[in-house]
Amino acid sequence: MPDEENTNTTQEDEEATEYQKLVNDLKALTQGETPNAHTLPMAEDEWYTRPDTVSYGIVSLDFEADALNGDNTKLSAAHEGSVDLFSMSKSGAGWVEMITDTLKNHCDASWSLNSHTYERDTGLFHWEWVFQIWG
Amino acid sequence: MAITMKFTGMEEISAMLDQLGDQANFVASFALYEGAGVMADSINAAARAIVTEPFRYAGPGQTRLPSPEEKAILLENGSMGIARFDKNGSEVNTSVGYNKSGYADVSWNHMNSAARTNYKAVSFKGKENTASSTLRFIRRSGKAEQYGLSSSMGHGAQNRKPVGVIANAINSGTSFMKKQPFFRIGANNGRRKAEEVIRATVERLFNQIINNNGAGRKSA
Repeated sequence: MPDEENTNTTQEDEEATEYQKLVNDLKALTQGETPNAHTLPMAEDEWYTRPDTVSYGIVSLDFEADALNGDNTKLSAAHEGSVDLFSMSKSGAGWVEMITDTLKNHCDASWSLNSHTYERDTGLFHWEWVFQIWG
Repeated sequence: MAITMKFTGMEEISAMLDQLGDQANFVASFALYEGAGVMADSINAAARAIVTEPFRYAGPGQTRLPSPEEKAILLENGSMGIARFDKNGSEVNTSVGYNKSGYADVSWNHMNSAARTNYKAVSFKGKENTASSTLRFIRRSGKAEQYGLSSSMGHGAQNRKPVGVIANAINSGTSFMKKQPFFRIGANNGRRKAEEVIRATVERLFNQIINNNGAGRKSA
Protein backbone atom coordinates (compact mmCIF):
# COMPACT_ATOMS: atom_id res chain seq x y z
CA MET A 1 0.00 0.00 0.00
CA PRO A 2 1.57 3.33 -1.04
CA ASP A 3 2.15 5.83 1.72
CA GLU A 4 0.13 9.02 1.84
CA GLU A 5 2.95 11.30 0.75
CA ASN A 6 3.65 9.37 -2.44
CA THR A 7 -0.05 9.24 -3.32
CA ASN A 8 -0.33 13.01 -3.00
CA THR A 9 2.72 13.55 -5.19
CA THR A 10 1.29 11.30 -7.88
CA GLN A 11 -2.05 13.15 -7.85
CA GLU A 12 -0.27 16.50 -8.11
CA ASP A 13 1.77 15.23 -11.04
CA GLU A 14 -1.36 14.03 -12.81
CA GLU A 15 -3.15 17.33 -12.25
CA ALA A 16 -0.22 19.45 -13.42
CA THR A 17 -0.48 20.80 -16.94
CA GLU A 18 2.22 20.05 -19.47
CA TYR A 19 3.54 23.56 -18.98
CA GLN A 20 3.79 23.13 -15.22
CA LYS A 21 5.62 19.85 -15.72
CA LEU A 22 8.06 21.58 -18.05
CA VAL A 23 8.66 24.36 -15.54
CA ASN A 24 9.09 21.85 -12.72
CA ASP A 25 11.63 19.90 -14.73
CA LEU A 26 13.55 23.03 -15.65
CA LYS A 27 13.65 23.98 -12.00
CA ALA A 28 14.72 20.49 -10.96
CA LEU A 29 17.36 20.57 -13.64
CA THR A 30 18.80 23.86 -12.58
CA GLN A 31 18.18 23.99 -8.85
CA GLY A 32 19.47 20.84 -7.21
CA GLU A 33 19.33 20.03 -3.55
CA THR A 34 22.63 21.75 -2.98
CA PRO A 35 22.52 25.09 -4.79
CA ASN A 36 25.93 26.39 -5.66
CA ALA A 37 27.57 28.91 -7.91
CA HIS A 38 26.41 26.96 -10.94
CA THR A 39 22.72 27.11 -10.02
CA LEU A 40 20.68 28.69 -12.77
CA PRO A 41 17.96 30.86 -11.21
CA MET A 42 14.66 30.54 -13.02
CA ALA A 43 12.00 33.22 -12.89
CA GLU A 44 8.52 32.01 -13.77
CA ASP A 45 6.23 34.50 -15.51
CA GLU A 46 8.24 37.32 -13.98
CA TRP A 47 10.92 39.50 -15.39
CA TYR A 48 11.49 42.43 -13.13
CA THR A 49 14.33 41.09 -11.02
CA ARG A 50 17.59 40.43 -12.76
CA PRO A 51 19.65 37.91 -10.77
CA ASP A 52 23.24 38.96 -10.34
CA THR A 53 24.82 35.68 -11.47
CA VAL A 54 26.96 34.38 -14.29
CA SER A 55 23.97 32.64 -15.90
CA TYR A 56 20.27 32.90 -15.36
CA GLY A 57 17.13 31.77 -17.11
CA ILE A 58 13.52 32.78 -17.52
CA VAL A 59 10.60 30.61 -18.59
CA SER A 60 7.31 32.24 -19.47
CA LEU A 61 4.02 31.41 -21.09
CA ASP A 62 3.41 34.10 -23.69
CA PHE A 63 0.05 33.58 -25.41
CA GLU A 64 -2.48 31.05 -26.70
CA ALA A 65 -1.32 29.92 -30.11
CA ASP A 66 -4.12 27.61 -31.14
CA ALA A 67 -7.22 25.94 -29.77
CA LEU A 68 -9.39 22.94 -30.49
CA ASN A 69 -13.09 23.77 -30.15
CA GLY A 70 -16.04 21.42 -30.18
CA ASP A 71 -19.50 21.02 -28.65
CA ASN A 72 -19.65 24.76 -27.98
CA THR A 73 -16.64 24.62 -25.72
CA LYS A 74 -12.88 24.82 -25.84
CA LEU A 75 -11.60 21.26 -25.70
CA SER A 76 -7.92 22.11 -25.44
CA ALA A 77 -5.47 24.87 -26.26
CA ALA A 78 -1.87 25.10 -27.35
CA HIS A 79 0.16 27.77 -25.59
CA GLU A 80 3.29 29.37 -26.91
CA GLY A 81 6.00 30.16 -24.42
CA SER A 82 9.69 30.84 -24.29
CA VAL A 83 12.77 29.96 -22.34
CA ASP A 84 15.50 32.57 -22.13
CA LEU A 85 19.05 31.95 -21.03
CA PHE A 86 21.43 34.80 -20.27
CA SER A 87 25.04 33.86 -19.69
CA MET A 88 28.42 35.54 -19.56
CA SER A 89 29.80 32.34 -21.09
CA LYS A 90 29.86 32.11 -24.87
CA SER A 91 28.99 28.40 -24.69
CA GLY A 92 26.22 28.94 -22.15
CA ALA A 93 28.15 27.12 -19.41
CA GLY A 94 26.45 23.82 -20.23
CA TRP A 95 22.90 25.14 -19.76
CA VAL A 96 22.18 25.17 -23.49
CA GLU A 97 22.39 21.38 -23.79
CA MET A 98 20.41 20.80 -20.61
CA ILE A 99 17.60 23.17 -21.62
CA THR A 100 17.34 21.70 -25.12
CA ASP A 101 17.18 18.17 -23.65
CA THR A 102 14.34 19.23 -21.34
CA LEU A 103 12.46 20.83 -24.24
CA LYS A 104 12.90 17.66 -26.30
CA ASN A 105 11.41 15.61 -23.46
CA HIS A 106 8.34 17.81 -23.01
CA CYS A 107 7.67 19.46 -26.34
CA ASP A 108 8.72 16.76 -28.83
CA ALA A 109 9.44 18.69 -32.04
CA SER A 110 7.40 21.82 -31.33
CA TRP A 111 10.22 24.05 -30.15
CA SER A 112 13.03 25.98 -31.78
CA LEU A 113 15.90 28.29 -31.00
CA ASN A 114 14.31 31.59 -31.98
CA SER A 115 17.29 33.88 -31.47
CA HIS A 116 20.82 33.95 -30.18
CA THR A 117 22.23 37.39 -29.55
CA TYR A 118 25.07 39.12 -27.76
CA GLU A 119 24.52 42.22 -25.65
CA ARG A 120 27.53 44.43 -26.09
CA ASP A 121 26.56 46.66 -23.16
CA THR A 122 26.34 43.91 -20.56
CA GLY A 123 28.57 41.24 -22.09
CA LEU A 124 25.76 38.70 -21.82
CA PHE A 125 24.92 36.09 -24.43
CA HIS A 126 21.19 35.54 -24.86
CA TRP A 127 19.49 32.39 -26.12
CA GLU A 128 15.74 32.37 -26.69
CA TRP A 129 13.87 29.12 -27.30
CA VAL A 130 10.23 29.19 -28.32
CA PHE A 131 8.01 26.21 -27.63
CA GLN A 132 4.37 25.26 -27.99
CA ILE A 133 2.72 23.07 -25.41
CA TRP A 134 -0.78 21.82 -24.63
CA GLY A 135 -1.89 23.37 -21.38
CA MET B 1 14.23 39.96 -37.75
CA ALA B 2 11.78 38.31 -40.06
CA ILE B 3 9.39 35.40 -40.06
CA THR B 4 9.33 32.32 -42.24
CA MET B 5 6.14 30.34 -42.63
CA LYS B 6 5.41 27.38 -44.79
CA PHE B 7 1.80 26.81 -45.76
CA THR B 8 0.91 23.16 -46.12
CA GLY B 9 -2.27 21.27 -46.91
CA MET B 10 -3.04 23.44 -49.95
CA GLU B 11 -3.12 20.56 -52.43
CA GLU B 12 -6.05 21.96 -54.41
CA ILE B 13 -4.20 25.27 -54.83
CA SER B 14 -1.14 23.38 -56.02
CA ALA B 15 -3.30 21.46 -58.51
CA MET B 16 -4.72 24.75 -59.86
CA LEU B 17 -1.26 26.21 -60.31
CA ASP B 18 -0.13 23.08 -62.15
CA GLN B 19 -2.87 23.65 -64.72
CA LEU B 20 -1.78 27.24 -65.37
CA GLY B 21 1.60 26.38 -66.86
CA ASP B 22 3.69 29.50 -67.53
CA GLN B 23 1.29 31.76 -65.64
CA ALA B 24 1.56 29.76 -62.41
CA ASN B 25 4.56 31.71 -61.14
CA PHE B 26 2.79 35.06 -61.63
CA VAL B 27 -0.35 33.84 -59.85
CA ALA B 28 1.66 32.35 -56.97
CA SER B 29 3.67 35.58 -56.57
CA PHE B 30 0.55 37.76 -56.62
CA ALA B 31 -1.18 35.57 -54.03
CA LEU B 32 1.90 35.46 -51.84
CA TYR B 33 2.17 39.27 -51.97
CA GLU B 34 -1.43 39.57 -50.79
CA GLY B 35 -0.76 37.06 -47.99
CA ALA B 36 2.44 38.84 -46.94
CA GLY B 37 0.46 42.08 -46.71
CA VAL B 38 -1.99 40.44 -44.31
CA MET B 39 0.91 39.20 -42.18
CA ALA B 40 2.51 42.65 -42.12
CA ASP B 41 -0.79 44.27 -41.08
CA SER B 42 -1.26 41.70 -38.33
CA ILE B 43 2.25 42.24 -36.94
CA ASN B 44 1.75 46.01 -37.10
CA ALA B 45 -1.51 45.64 -35.16
CA ALA B 46 0.32 43.64 -32.49
CA ALA B 47 3.06 46.27 -32.37
CA ARG B 48 0.43 48.90 -31.57
CA ALA B 49 -0.30 46.98 -28.35
CA ILE B 50 3.28 47.24 -27.06
CA VAL B 51 3.28 48.64 -23.53
CA THR B 52 5.67 51.56 -23.02
CA GLU B 53 6.98 53.77 -20.27
CA PRO B 54 8.94 57.06 -20.40
CA PHE B 55 12.54 56.30 -21.28
CA ARG B 56 14.89 55.58 -18.40
CA TYR B 57 18.19 53.79 -18.05
CA ALA B 58 17.83 50.39 -16.35
CA GLY B 59 19.85 50.38 -13.17
CA PRO B 60 21.58 47.35 -11.63
CA GLY B 61 19.22 44.41 -11.39
CA GLN B 62 16.41 46.34 -13.06
CA THR B 63 14.54 45.99 -16.30
CA ARG B 64 12.67 48.60 -18.28
CA LEU B 65 9.86 48.74 -20.81
CA PRO B 66 10.31 50.17 -24.31
CA SER B 67 9.98 53.91 -24.62
CA PRO B 68 7.18 55.50 -26.71
CA GLU B 69 9.92 56.63 -29.10
CA GLU B 70 11.05 53.05 -29.74
CA LYS B 71 7.45 51.94 -30.31
CA ALA B 72 6.90 54.81 -32.74
CA ILE B 73 9.95 53.72 -34.75
CA LEU B 74 8.41 50.27 -35.29
CA LEU B 75 5.07 51.76 -36.33
CA GLU B 76 6.59 54.34 -38.63
CA ASN B 77 5.76 54.01 -42.31
CA GLY B 78 8.47 52.06 -44.04
CA SER B 79 9.87 50.40 -40.93
CA MET B 80 8.47 47.02 -41.83
CA GLY B 81 8.87 45.60 -45.28
CA ILE B 82 8.16 42.68 -47.57
CA ALA B 83 11.38 41.29 -49.02
CA ARG B 84 12.08 40.95 -52.72
CA PHE B 85 10.54 37.74 -54.00
CA ASP B 86 12.90 34.82 -54.43
CA LYS B 87 11.69 32.65 -57.30
CA ASN B 88 13.30 29.26 -57.36
CA GLY B 89 11.74 27.00 -59.95
CA SER B 90 8.14 26.47 -58.97
CA GLU B 91 8.76 27.94 -55.50
CA VAL B 92 8.19 31.56 -54.54
CA ASN B 93 9.54 32.79 -51.20
CA THR B 94 9.50 36.07 -49.35
CA SER B 95 9.81 37.31 -45.79
CA VAL B 96 8.07 40.00 -43.77
CA GLY B 97 9.97 41.88 -41.11
CA TYR B 98 12.55 44.49 -40.17
CA ASN B 99 15.63 42.89 -41.74
CA LYS B 100 16.45 45.75 -44.09
CA SER B 101 14.70 48.58 -42.33
CA GLY B 102 17.83 50.67 -41.91
CA TYR B 103 18.52 52.98 -38.99
CA ALA B 104 16.37 55.30 -36.90
CA ASP B 105 17.29 58.34 -34.86
CA VAL B 106 16.76 58.09 -31.12
CA SER B 107 17.18 60.90 -28.61
CA TRP B 108 18.95 58.83 -25.95
CA ASN B 109 22.40 57.32 -25.99
CA HIS B 110 23.04 54.61 -23.44
CA MET B 111 26.71 54.56 -24.34
CA ASN B 112 27.03 58.02 -22.80
CA SER B 113 25.14 57.14 -19.65
CA ALA B 114 26.87 56.63 -16.33
CA ALA B 115 23.79 54.67 -15.29
CA ARG B 116 24.41 51.84 -17.72
CA THR B 117 24.99 48.54 -15.98
CA ASN B 118 27.79 46.04 -16.19
CA TYR B 119 29.26 47.54 -19.32
CA LYS B 120 32.03 45.20 -20.24
CA ALA B 121 34.93 46.37 -22.38
CA VAL B 122 35.66 43.48 -24.73
CA SER B 123 38.55 43.22 -27.13
CA PHE B 124 37.86 44.19 -30.70
CA LYS B 125 40.75 43.20 -32.89
CA GLY B 126 43.03 43.41 -29.90
CA LYS B 127 41.84 46.87 -28.85
CA GLU B 128 39.48 48.01 -26.17
CA ASN B 129 36.01 48.20 -27.62
CA THR B 130 34.24 51.36 -26.58
CA ALA B 131 31.69 53.39 -28.42
CA SER B 132 34.30 55.83 -29.68
CA SER B 133 36.87 53.19 -30.69
CA THR B 134 34.22 51.32 -32.66
CA LEU B 135 33.21 54.53 -34.38
CA ARG B 136 36.87 55.29 -35.20
CA PHE B 137 37.27 51.81 -36.67
CA ILE B 138 34.17 52.26 -38.82
CA ARG B 139 35.37 55.66 -40.07
CA ARG B 140 38.93 54.51 -40.83
CA SER B 141 37.77 51.38 -42.62
CA GLY B 142 35.66 53.53 -44.93
CA LYS B 143 32.52 51.63 -43.95
CA ALA B 144 30.65 54.55 -42.39
CA GLU B 145 27.97 54.67 -45.10
CA GLN B 146 27.57 50.90 -44.93
CA TYR B 147 26.73 51.21 -41.25
CA GLY B 148 24.29 54.03 -41.91
CA LEU B 149 26.62 56.68 -40.47
CA SER B 150 28.04 59.80 -41.97
CA SER B 151 31.84 59.83 -41.83
CA SER B 152 31.64 63.43 -40.63
CA MET B 153 29.41 62.54 -37.68
CA GLY B 154 30.64 63.04 -34.18
CA HIS B 155 29.87 60.97 -31.13
CA GLY B 156 26.20 61.65 -31.66
CA ALA B 157 26.30 59.20 -34.55
CA GLN B 158 25.74 56.52 -31.94
CA ASN B 159 22.19 57.83 -31.61
CA ARG B 160 21.26 56.02 -34.80
CA LYS B 161 20.00 52.56 -33.92
CA PRO B 162 19.15 49.73 -36.33
CA VAL B 163 15.37 49.27 -36.48
CA GLY B 164 15.82 45.49 -36.59
CA VAL B 165 17.78 45.52 -33.33
CA ILE B 166 15.10 47.62 -31.61
CA ALA B 167 12.40 45.23 -32.86
CA ASN B 168 14.36 42.20 -31.70
CA ALA B 169 15.05 43.73 -28.28
CA ILE B 170 11.34 44.35 -27.71
CA ASN B 171 10.21 41.02 -29.14
CA SER B 172 12.79 38.75 -27.51
CA GLY B 173 13.69 40.93 -24.54
CA THR B 174 17.15 41.67 -23.22
CA SER B 175 18.72 41.41 -19.80
CA PHE B 176 17.46 44.95 -19.18
CA MET B 177 14.21 45.03 -21.17
CA LYS B 178 11.07 42.99 -20.54
CA LYS B 179 10.08 40.95 -23.56
CA GLN B 180 6.85 41.63 -25.42
CA PRO B 181 6.59 39.04 -28.20
CA PHE B 182 4.51 41.22 -30.52
CA PHE B 183 6.08 39.73 -33.63
CA ARG B 184 5.16 36.15 -32.74
CA ILE B 185 1.67 37.20 -31.59
CA GLY B 186 1.07 39.11 -34.83
CA ALA B 187 2.38 36.27 -36.98
CA ASN B 188 0.27 33.75 -35.12
CA ASN B 189 -2.88 35.87 -35.39
CA GLY B 190 -2.36 36.61 -39.09
CA ARG B 191 -1.43 33.13 -40.21
CA ARG B 192 -4.93 31.75 -40.80
CA LYS B 193 -6.17 34.92 -42.48
CA ALA B 194 -3.09 35.03 -44.72
CA GLU B 195 -3.70 31.43 -45.75
CA GLU B 196 -7.33 32.24 -46.60
CA VAL B 197 -6.30 35.30 -48.63
CA ILE B 198 -3.68 33.30 -50.56
CA ARG B 199 -6.22 30.58 -51.28
CA ALA B 200 -8.92 33.05 -52.37
CA THR B 201 -6.50 35.03 -54.58
CA VAL B 202 -5.26 31.92 -56.39
CA GLU B 203 -8.85 30.74 -56.97
CA ARG B 204 -9.93 34.15 -58.28
CA LEU B 205 -6.99 34.48 -60.67
CA PHE B 206 -7.31 30.85 -61.75
CA ASN B 207 -10.96 31.35 -62.69
CA GLN B 208 -10.15 34.59 -64.53
CA ILE B 209 -7.36 32.98 -66.55
CA ILE B 210 -9.38 29.84 -67.36
CA ASN B 211 -12.37 31.97 -68.43
CA ASN B 212 -10.19 34.22 -70.58
CA ASN B 213 -8.53 31.23 -72.22
CA GLY B 214 -11.94 29.68 -72.87
CA ALA B 215 -13.24 32.91 -74.39
CA GLY B 216 -10.10 33.12 -76.53
CA ARG B 217 -10.60 29.62 -77.87
CA LYS B 218 -14.27 30.33 -78.71
CA SER B 219 -13.44 33.53 -80.57
CA ALA B 220 -10.67 31.73 -82.48
